[in-house]
Amino acid sequence: MAIEINNLNQEIETVREDCLRPTQKWGRSTQIWIGCLLIVMGWGLYCYIHQLRDGLGVTAMRDYVSWGLYISTFIFFIGISHSGTLVSAILRITKQEWRRPITRSAELLTVVSLLFGGIIPIIDLGRPDRIGNLFIFGRIQSPLMWDVIAICTYLTGSMLFLFLPMIPDMALCRDRLTVCDSPFKKFRKWLYTKMAIGWTGTKSQWHRLELTMTIMTIVIIPVAVSVHTVVSYIFAMTLRPGWNSTVFGPYFVAGALYSGSAAVILGMAVFRKLYHLEKYITPRHFDLMGRIVLALTLIYAYLNLNEYWIPAYNMVTAEGHLLSDLFYGSYSKAFWTCQFGTVLLPIIIMSIPKGRTPSILPITCIIIVAGAWVKRYLIVVPTLLHPFMPIQEVPGTWSSYFPNYVEFSVTAACLAGIFLLITIFSKLFPMMAVWEVEEGILIEHDKKVASELRTKREAEEADMVSNPLKQPTY
Amino acid sequence: MNIIIKRASVEIAIIGLFCGIVSGQDQSPAKGKSEATIELSYYKKADMSKTVVAVIKAKNNDGKFVPAKNTQVNFYVMHNKEQQKLNIVKTDNSGHAILVLQKDLPLNEDLSFTIVAKIENDSLYEDTEEQVHYKDADLTLNLNPHDTARLVTVKVTETGKDGKEIPVHGADVKFYVQRLFGIMPAAEDNTIGTDDKGEASFAFPKNIPGDTSGVVTIVARMVDNEQFGNVENKAATSWGSVLAIVKDPFPRALWEPYAPLPLVITITTLFGGVWFTYFFIFFQLRKVKKDDQLKMRQ
Repeated sequence: MAIEINNLNQEIETVREDCLRPTQKWGRSTQIWIGCLLIVMGWGLYCYIHQLRDGLGVTAMRDYVSWGLYISTFIFFIGISHSGTLVSAILRITKQEWRRPITRSAELLTVVSLLFGGIIPIIDLGRPDRIGNLFIFGRIQSPLMWDVIAICTYLTGSMLFLFLPMIPDMALCRDRLTVCDSPFKKFRKWLYTKMAIGWTGTKSQWHRLELTMTIMTIVIIPVAVSVHTVVSYIFAMTLRPGWNSTVFGPYFVAGALYSGSAAVILGMAVFRKLYHLEKYITPRHFDLMGRIVLALTLIYAYLNLNEYWIPAYNMVTAEGHLLSDLFYGSYSKAFWTCQFGTVLLPIIIMSIPKGRTPSILPITCIIIVAGAWVKRYLIVVPTLLHPFMPIQEVPGTWSSYFPNYVEFSVTAACLAGIFLLITIFSKLFPMMAVWEVEEGILIEHDKKVASELRTKREAEEADMVSNPLKQPTY
Repeated sequence: MNIIIKRASVEIAIIGLFCGIVSGQDQSPAKGKSEATIELSYYKKADMSKTVVAVIKAKNNDGKFVPAKNTQVNFYVMHNKEQQKLNIVKTDNSGHAILVLQKDLPLNEDLSFTIVAKIENDSLYEDTEEQVHYKDADLTLNLNPHDTARLVTVKVTETGKDGKEIPVHGADVKFYVQRLFGIMPAAEDNTIGTDDKGEASFAFPKNIPGDTSGVVTIVARMVDNEQFGNVENKAATSWGSVLAIVKDPFPRALWEPYAPLPLVITITTLFGGVWFTYFFIFFQLRKVKKDDQLKMRQ
């Protein structure tokens, strides 16, 4: 028994070392990576200042296409932010034990993508200095206002949802990292002490943590669903072909879950490789996540069919022009590539067990994530180029749109910002919830002991039947 | 010191050039100063205010005349063959420089006034000038709201040397109706010439929509008259058809001035509930800290 407890302690110690190791050093490659990200962000900032100074005319957007790459990226980032809710909250609520090593990266992805997703509509404004007017003079009956409220609510909730399971880990970091030789020691000590909020692991503290986490797990799911539903309302509540659709709410939510969970797999693959977490994020995790993405892709494909099949059957004039352009016009290549390449092909790949292995699944997920981004672009731009009133007496260039270097640079800067925040986070905090993984080991151990005891008792009971004078040992 | 100044000027020149390329604004002429033109117009409005508008256009690199923005225009009035400076006005983005004229403007012997607009010593454009001579005219609108024939009578007069009103004969007057974003011709043929008495009468058509009380504003205007420029006057009368606003039984919520109550209640309840939960979580987190302090005391 003592040997067993010793082994268990050793295993827990190994988990702690494996989780905290990446936070103890900032290697040369990390510094170069951060430098590259800062360069991209700096250039994006310069382009944004140029846009601020000279107006939105420096972008490729004009009167007809006033929502271009920026708003497409906004929807994409908000979609990615659903990952944390799905993987963490849903798997937590359904008590899926295998979730433990991957929840933190999923929750982090939610917060950072939501943060930049929320910034992008402000970037898209010609006069961002007037953003305060939205709060002073905002009209509650406007879907734009609902969007602001929903995103602020979800961002706050996601931050809480990320922070709560970090508290015991922060206490661990406070007690261990600050005594060893790690970069920014003083700052870390201060940060971990503040974030640990005096955690000592008392019974009442564990009780409060469990209570708050249970509440947040329940609350965050409808909030997340509401966010993407409201984002879809910005489009669906207009009377424009391609947007005015009753299926848009669930369609956006399904699209967000499908791309978000694919992004979680990408995060899993990257951290597994970089931080040598192969022992914890196993092929089984990829297989199970692959099954989830497969299910979500099938739901998304079904809603996609509804979104296009019904208007295509009716072919009402304005809708007909838009669909013609998507099916065999100027956007047909992108449209069909999205449908077959990023929906149908992943379904086929992920249906095969080999397609859900750690080597194949991340590649499929890259295709899904890239496809989801292009799909958002195809939702936003073609509709704007097909207004009810014909485009006339305007410069010819206004009747088409392709983002220019300003939009690409600013968008790239936002993406770089996401990577930067994730990198800094992973260098300050453990990317796996240490206490949750430990808890998983203990549960596994208890199950093993219980199973052994059960086997022993069954054997003894069988023995007693044959020898009634023998006393049971339990 | 000289080297520093030279370096600074080179840097400023590079930054200036870069900003020019980035902003895509190439307003400067390619070689030397470019040619500019001035068009002058005079307006006397219904409120008796008098303005002169100078439209400045300049040749760009393609040889086309385009509006010259932010250009300084000097305005003068001629008096006893001498020019008295009135004001300096800069053009707006459409190349317009608008000068409001003072009431006691010096007049010529024939009671006309001469306004001169000049571009002088401009760094971008060659010197140029333009002048206009106009007399002051009054346009009086007479209409009887109870007149079943709905006749609008306009009398155009100028002031003689003895201060008496002299009728203006043969001046074309156009009739319009004021709409929200401009004026609309009151009829297909809306131009009437004044007679020997200086009067022009126009039969106001029926079925022109007015406001909810049937009130329309009639505008009478002399347009680009050789002697008097642009002179207008306006009067409101209830000759329009009454605008009946039919209340939409199913109004779109977005356009309503106030949000529907069920919507406000729904949003407040849903998001209020969520935020209440967040505050509860914050409250619990505070207690986590207090638990620690309690343990320390024990």
